[in-house]
Amino acid sequence: MSKPYRLTCALFIFILLLAPFQILAIEADSTAKDDHSGHFDYFLNSKKRGERLFKGLTRTPVEWQSCVSCHNIDYIDTLNWNPSAQDIAGTFANKSIAEFRSVLMSPLGKKMEESHQNYAFSDEELGYIKTYLQELNSSVLYETKPKVNNLIVFFFLGALITLALVDLVFTKKIKYKIIPVLIFVFAFGYQIQMLAEGAMALGRKQNYAPIQPIKFSHKIHATDNKIDCRYCHTTVDDSKSAGIPHVNLCLNCHVIVREGTNSGKFEINKIHASIDNNTPVEWIRIHKLPDHVFFSHAQHANVGKRDCQECHGLVEEMHVVKQVEDLSMGWCLDCHDKTAVDFRENGYYSESFKKLHEKLTSGAIDSVRVTDVGGRECARCHY
Amino acid sequence: MKKYWKSLTELKNGENSVPDQPMPKGNLEQILDIFDKNENDSKSNRRDFLKLCGFSLAISTVVASCENSVQKAIPYLIKPEEITPGKANYYASSFAKGSDYCSVLIKTREGRPIKIEGNDLSSVTNGGTSSRVQASVLDLYDTSRYKHAKKGNQKLSWEELDKTIKEELTRLKNANEPVVLLTSSIYSPSTERIIQKFIVQYPNVKWVQYDSQSATALIEANQMCFGKAGIADYRFDYADKIVSFDADFLGTWLMPVEHIRQYTKKRKLSDGNTSMSHHTQVESRLSLTGSNADKRIPVKPSEQKFLIAQLYNEILKLAGKETYSLPASNTDIQEIAKDLWAHKGKSLVISGSNDAYVQVVVNAINFELENYGSTLRVDKQLHTSKAIASEMDQVLADMKSGKLKGIISYGVNPVFDYPKGKEFADAVKKVAFSVAMDEVPNETTALMSFVAPDNHFLESWNDFEPKTNRYSLMQPGIRPLFDTRQFQSSLLSWMGEDVNYLTFIKNHWEKNMYPMQTAYPNFTTFWKHTLQQGVFEPSIKSVFDTRFNFAGISNVVNQFSKPNDSKGVELQLYESIAIGDGRMANNPWLQEMPDPVTKICWDNYLCVSPKQAEEMMLETGDVVDLNSKLKLPVYILPGQAYNTVSIAKGYGRQLCGVVGKNVGVNVNALLASNDDFLGDVKLSKTGEKYDLAMTQTHHSMEGRAIVREAGLEEYKKNPSAGNESHHAYENANIYEKPKFPNHHWGLVVDLNSCVGCGACSIACQSENNVPVVGKKEVIRAHEMSWIRIDRYFSGDEINPDVSFQPVMCQHCDNAPCENVCPVAATNHSSEGLNQMAYNRCIGTRYCGNNCPYKVRRFNWFDYTKADSIPNNLHDVAEMTIDLKRMVLNPDVTVRAKGVIEKCSLCVQRIQEGKLNAKIEGRKVKDGEIKTACEQACPSGAIIFGDLNDKESKLVKETSSKRNYHLLEEIHTLPSVSYLTKIRNKKMNHS
Repeated sequence: MSKPYRLTCALFIFILLLAPFQILAIEADSTAKDDHSGHFDYFLNSKKRGERLFKGLTRTPVEWQSCVSCHNIDYIDTLNWNPSAQDIAGTFANKSIAEFRSVLMSPLGKKMEESHQNYAFSDEELGYIKTYLQELNSSVLYETKPKVNNLIVFFFLGALITLALVDLVFTKKIKYKIIPVLIFVFAFGYQIQMLAEGAMALGRKQNYAPIQPIKFSHKIHATDNKIDCRYCHTTVDDSKSAGIPHVNLCLNCHVIVREGTNSGKFEINKIHASIDNNTPVEWIRIHKLPDHVFFSHAQHANVGKRDCQECHGLVEEMHVVKQVEDLSMGWCLDCHDKTAVDFRENGYYSESFKKLHEKLTSGAIDSVRVTDVGGRECARCHY
Repeated sequence: MKKYWKSLTELKNGENSVPDQPMPKGNLEQILDIFDKNENDSKSNRRDFLKLCGFSLAISTVVASCENSVQKAIPYLIKPEEITPGKANYYASSFAKGSDYCSVLIKTREGRPIKIEGNDLSSVTNGGTSSRVQASVLDLYDTSRYKHAKKGNQKLSWEELDKTIKEELTRLKNANEPVVLLTSSIYSPSTERIIQKFIVQYPNVKWVQYDSQSATALIEANQMCFGKAGIADYRFDYADKIVSFDADFLGTWLMPVEHIRQYTKKRKLSDGNTSMSHHTQVESRLSLTGSNADKRIPVKPSEQKFLIAQLYNEILKLAGKETYSLPASNTDIQEIAKDLWAHKGKSLVISGSNDAYVQVVVNAINFELENYGSTLRVDKQLHTSKAIASEMDQVLADMKSGKLKGIISYGVNPVFDYPKGKEFADAVKKVAFSVAMDEVPNETTALMSFVAPDNHFLESWNDFEPKTNRYSLMQPGIRPLFDTRQFQSSLLSWMGEDVNYLTFIKNHWEKNMYPMQTAYPNFTTFWKHTLQQGVFEPSIKSVFDTRFNFAGISNVVNQFSKPNDSKGVELQLYESIAIGDGRMANNPWLQEMPDPVTKICWDNYLCVSPKQAEEMMLETGDVVDLNSKLKLPVYILPGQAYNTVSIAKGYGRQLCGVVGKNVGVNVNALLASNDDFLGDVKLSKTGEKYDLAMTQTHHSMEGRAIVREAGLEEYKKNPSAGNESHHAYENANIYEKPKFPNHHWGLVVDLNSCVGCGACSIACQSENNVPVVGKKEVIRAHEMSWIRIDRYFSGDEINPDVSFQPVMCQHCDNAPCENVCPVAATNHSSEGLNQMAYNRCIGTRYCGNNCPYKVRRFNWFDYTKADSIPNNLHDVAEMTIDLKRMVLNPDVTVRAKGVIEKCSLCVQRIQEGKLNAKIEGRKVKDGEIKTACEQACPSGAIIFGDLNDKESKLVKETSSKRNYHLLEEIHTLPSVSYLTKIRNKKMNHS
C-alpha cells in the first residue's frame, strides 16, 4: 500500500479506537466517585444523615413532608416554583444554624408556612441537613444531554464502513459485491447527514430554556400583572441592545411586593440579596447572535415597529423563557423578504428613496419590502 | 508626465528591474516557518506533516464535540443614568503626554474607552489629532503599567507609602537637605498651583522641568529680544511665505497638530480661492515638513547659522538699513529674502535650532519683516514646553556631588533620553530618597526606591493651558484600572491636604477662570458647560508692544558670519513621527506605523544620502559602524544632504513592556542637549546585513498617473492642470451598471491638504480592530493596515519632490474583486459600498489578487484571538490578552484567521448615522457621518459623504476640475476620488 493511504487508514482506525475509550473513561469516572466505604461510618457521617433526613428516609412524623418532595435535588425539565436544594444551599451557605432554624421552622411566607407546619427538627438534625446541603452547594443543575447515543451510532456506522471496505478490498468473504457497497453507501450517507445536521445546529439554540438564577416568570409579570415589555427592557427603542433590567429597576415594585404567589419569598429575596451584597444577577443568556452579526433592537422595534413577539415568541405566556425561533440567517431573511417598510410615515425612507416613493404614491406598487431598500445586503448586518 | 520612482533601485535600474529578493516561499513553508525556531534550515519534513495532521485532527475533534457554552448576561446592579448598553458615550477631555497636547473626545462603550477623537471646539487643535493621540487609548490597557505602589520590588499600600514619604520629606525638610521635583513641562494651572503649595510646605524642594526635546533656545531668545520668556504663538494660517530652517513643524516641532491645521488651511484651493502660501524648507534630512515644502534646500546642519545670518543681512539690505559685511549670499537666499520682503507682515521665518543666538537672529528677521502681531505673537504663548536645559545639568551636577538628598520624578525618563543618561543613572542610584511617579516602568523609575504610580490620562482629572488663555479640561473616561493614584493627588496627600484633586481644580477654576467670563451666572453651570465642551477660551484682548531690543545682535551676526568649511560627515538626531521621544514605544500601533517618508516601521536606522551611499558602496539594509560606538542599518534617503546622516531618537528602550523593548538602538547619548548636530562622524561598512521592515516596496503602481500634480501657475491658468487625461468608457461593463436609489457613499482625498502624517491610519486601526502583525510579518508584506499612505519620490534623487497619497479601498462600482469571489463574500451594496462578509469568506485570496489598488489584506494568522484555536495565534504585541482586547470596537467583527479584510468606509458609522436619521424620521444630514480617518485628519484632507446628495460638501469637491480617480483607465469606477496636488512652484515635467 502507498504511504499516504496507510497513514489515512491508521488515523481513521485510531479515531475509531480512541473515541469509545473516552466515553468509557467518563463512565468509569462517575462510578468511582460513589464509593461505598462511607457505609461503615454511617453513624459518624453527618452528611449521609443529612441526606437521609432531606430525602425523608429516616423515621419522621407522617404529616411532615420530606424536603425533597418540594426541593428537587436533580435537574427537572418542568418548572418547580420551590427553590431547589442547591438554591437553598447557596443561600444558607454562610448563615448560622439559628438562622437556618428560624427560616425553616417558623417561616414568614404564606406558602412556606403551609408545608413547613409542625416541623420540629432538632438543632443536631438541622446541622446534618445543612452539612448535606453544603455538599450540594458547589454543584450546578444542568441538563445532561443524551448526546452519547448519537456518538455511538456514528462510530458504529464507522466500524461498519471499515468492515465493508476491508471485505470489499481484501477479504472478499461476501459473495455479492453489491452488499458491502450498499452498506458503505448507506452508512456513509447517514454519517454525512448526521454531521450536516450537527454542524447546522452548532451555535443555534432553538428551544433552549435554561434554568435561570431567579425563577422570574414573564407570564406573571407581563400577562397577570400587565406590565409592558418596555417598562423593564428600557433601551429597546434607542440602542442595539434591548437591555436586561438592572436590579434597581426590579426594586421599583419589589420594594413593596416581597412575596410571590408561586414562589413565596425565596426568589424575591434574591433581588434584595443582590442589592445588599452588591453582586449583580448572572442571568443565563438565551438569545444570542454570533459575533459577526450586528443586530439592532432600535432598528427593528422602533423604526421597523416590529412586535417583540415576532422574534421572541409569546414570552408573556412563558414561566420559563425559551428561544422560540432558531435565529438563523434564513429565518432573518425570510422576514426581510416579507415585511413591508413603514414607508409613508418615516421621513427617512420617503425622502431618501424618491423613486420608490413616487411608485408607491402612484399606486404602481402597494408596499415596499425590506428587501427593496437593501435588506438582503451583507453589510447591513455583517461588518 | 512626470516620472515617479518608488525606490532608488528602480531609479537606477529602470522600471522593469526586479529588486534582489529571495525566492518567495510557498504557503505551507511560510506557515511551517512559524513553528520552526531556527529559520535557516527550515524544511518541511514528514514529522512536521504528521504534527500538523495530528494537530488539525485533534482540533477538529475538539471543535466538533464542543457544545454551546453557557453564556451569561449580567446587567448592571444599579445602572448609571448616562449609560445605555450598546450606545457610545463621548466625554470631552485632553490628551497630554510631556509636550504633546491635544483636545480630544473619549469614546466609551459601557464605560470602557475604545477610541480617541479630536475635539472640534478647541481653537488650538481644531478637532485634529495625531497618530500618537489616536494610539494613546491602547496605552490605557498596557500590561506593563504599574499596578500598585512599590518600594523597591515590594508591593506597598498607599497608606504605608504616604506615611513613609511624609516622614522622609519632613526629615529632609528639618535637615534642610535639598530635594528636586523633576517633572516634564507642566502647563496645567492647577498642577502648577499644587506644586507651588508643595514647595511652600517643603521649602527644601526645588522644582525643575525637563523636556527631552527642549525649547530652551526659543524661550531664551524671546527673553533676550523682547523681555518676555516663552515660546511665541505661531500662526501659519496667516503666513503667505514660510521659511523654515530645520524646524519640522508639521512633524515634531512644538505643536504639529495645530500647525498642520493652520498650514493646510492656507493652502486649500477651490474654484473661488487660488492663492496658497509658499513654503521653503532649509534642512539636511528629508523631514515630513521638508517633503511638503514647495522648495527644499538641502544643506548641512553646520551651515544653518551662516545662512540665517545671511538672510538677516539680505533683509536688512532690502529694508535699507545698515548691513553687515558678510560673504555674498547665494541666489537661493537672495530669492528667499526678496520673497519674504514682498510678503512683509505676512511671512514667517522659523528655526529648529537649539542655539538661542540663532533664534535671536530669526527673531530679528521676523521683526524686520514686521511679522510680530500677525504671523507670530510674543504676548500669546505656547506653554507646552517650558523646560530650560541648563537646569537639568545643574540637577545632575548636584546629584553627582552628593548635595542632592532626594529626587521625585514625574513624567520624565532622563536615564533614557537625557544625553548624559548613563551618568544620571549612576548618580540617581546614590540619592537616598527617590520617588518615581510615572504610570509605566521605564529606565529611570527602575532606579528609584519608591514608586507612586500615576493614573493613565484616561483615568485622570486635570486642566491645561497649552496656550495663553486657551484652557481645557481633562476628565476620566474610566475609573483607574489598577491601584494607582494621580500625581497631583499624591502631592496633595503628602502635603497633608484632605482634598481630592477634582475639588482642588474646581476651587482653582472658581477663583481664577470663572471671573474671566460673563456668560454664566454661577460657577456650577459654568463648570458643567466647560466640562461638557472640554475647552474654555475666554476672549481677552491684550496689548503688547513688541520691541526688539537686543544690543548684542551685531556680535551674534558677526559670530555667524563665517561660512562653515567643515568637510566631515555630520550627524543629526530627530524624533520620529510615530515614536517621538520614546515614551510611547511600548505601543504596538505606533511601532507598526511606517515612517511617513522612509516607510519603515519597527526600527530606527541611519539615513544616508544617495551620493554618500554610492561612495561607500552602501545599500539599504547594510549595517554600518558609527564612531566605533554603534552599529546601525542604513537607509538611503533621497533628499538627505550630502555628507550628513540622521537617526531617529526614541528607539532602543531597555525597560518597557514586551513591545518596545530592544526595538532599534538608543542614540540619545550621541549628542549634547543643546547641540544641533555632531560633526566629523566616522562611518565604516561592516559587511553585515539587516532586515528593515518596509511597507512601501510592496505597493508599486508603476508608470501610471497615480499622483497627479501641477504647479500653482499652471493651475491658475487651467484648473484641470495635471489632470488632463481622463478615461470614460461607454458600455464597457459586462454586468449591468449598479443603481443607487438612495445613498451612494463616497470619499474624496485632497492631496494638496494631505501632509502624510499618518493620524488616519492609526485612527482606522483603532476604529476597525485592525490587527498588529509584527516586524517579521511586515517584512513578508503581511501588514494589515486598511488605509496606507503611499509616498512617491519624483525628480532628482539629490532633492526629490515627495507626494503622499492615502489609499484605502476605492469602493469601485465595477469592482474587479467582486466578480472573482467564488463564494460571493464580497459584493456591491445598493449604497455603493464594496461589502466584505468575513463569515462568508473562505480565503482564496482571488479578490486580493485581482484588486488593482492592493488594498485587501489577508489574515494569515489569528492576530486578535478571534477564534478559540490556540495554535492559530500569532501575537507579537500581547494583543490577544483580555486586558488589551478591551480596546476592541464592539461594533466591528474581530476577524479570524483565513479571511480577507479591507476598508469598509466605516460602515458601522454609516449604519449608526442612518439609524439615527430613521429614528428621527429624516434624511441623513451632510457631514453627520464621518469616517474614522476623516475625523482624525488634522488637515481636513478627507471628506466623506453621499455622492447622490447634490448639496453635499463631497459633491462640491468632486465636481472640481482637480478631481480624478485612481487608475481610471481600467474602468473600475471608484467611489473614492482624489484632488490633484498643487505645488507652489514651477513644475518641471520631464
